[in-house]
Amino acid sequence: MRSIAVRLALGAALLGLSACASSPPAEQELLAPTDEQTKLRSMQTRTFDLASREEALRGVIATLQDLGFIIERANEPMGLVTAARFAEPNYYDVLGITVTARPQGQGRMLIRANAIYNNEPVTDPEVYRNFFATLERALFIDRN
Amino acid sequence: MQTRRFETADELELLSASAAVLQDLGFQVSESVHELGLLRAAKERSAQEYGQEIQKALILLVTVALSAFAQGNAIVSIPTDLQQQICASLVARPLDEARREHEVRVLFYRLVWKGDGQSGDQHIPPGEQRMEMIRDPLIYQQFFARLQKSVFLEEQKI
Repeated sequence: MRSIAVRLALGAALLGLSACASSPPAEQELLAPTDEQTKLRSMQTRTFDLASREEALRGVIATLQDLGFIIERANEPMGLVTAARFAEPNYYDVLGITVTARPQGQGRMLIRANAIYNNEPVTDPEVYRNFFATLERALFIDRN
Repeated sequence: MQTRRFETADELELLSASAAVLQDLGFQVSESVHELGLLRAAKERSAQEYGQEIQKALILLVTVALSAFAQGNAIVSIPTDLQQQICASLVARPLDEARREHEVRVLFYRLVWKGDGQSGDQHIPPGEQRMEMIRDPLIYQQFFARLQKSVFLEEQKI
């Protein structure tokens, strides 16, 4: 008898807890733009003085390789490169990155990088700053 | 370690030579983008190792003996590596504006899957995955030795 009473009490407590948990966001908010997105996009994007997409993508590939990434996919007409890196010495985590290059006219190229750690988007600006700094160096060396 | 320079103007030739070498090494080419000089290849092999199997057997033996002695189930069978996929990602790129010299950079890595095991009454399901880069210089040296030979042969049209 006592165990049933304990179970009932536990069940009631759990019900109370689940009622306290926050409800999921309403459906129309799921795709709404947020301030964070805009901020994230601005730190993921940079323009470079480059005439050809091929040159930009080759620079991106070289940069990613320098940073220890495995190039997984590349598409020249689409201006797309996907790469991943194992978060060694942690054998189970993966850092993925997608880089796109789009011509902006007048010999300029817009490069955007998206990094994902396991399933979480990377929002640390330092990561992107580091990537673009390395890319800049790689493009400079290529030219000279 | 991952990079070699080749004095050839023909990037396509270099890529196809690389693909041929990877095939010689038992890899299947899974992706190629000639505009950007990218090749990807993979092969699957058994990942079983004697050391791990012996360790597993010893632990099993000790825990079986312990279980019999204590009359409980304390049997431990640790999961060992079973299958692995070895992958290669290769990029060729020109080193100068005139594209007279090219550089090939290759990266080998592997994914390892474990078999099943047991800890007491609890069964450990198979399929646990682990990833690691291959850093043995010998593997890279072997690859480039073959590639150098292959590029030379193609240049001489032999």
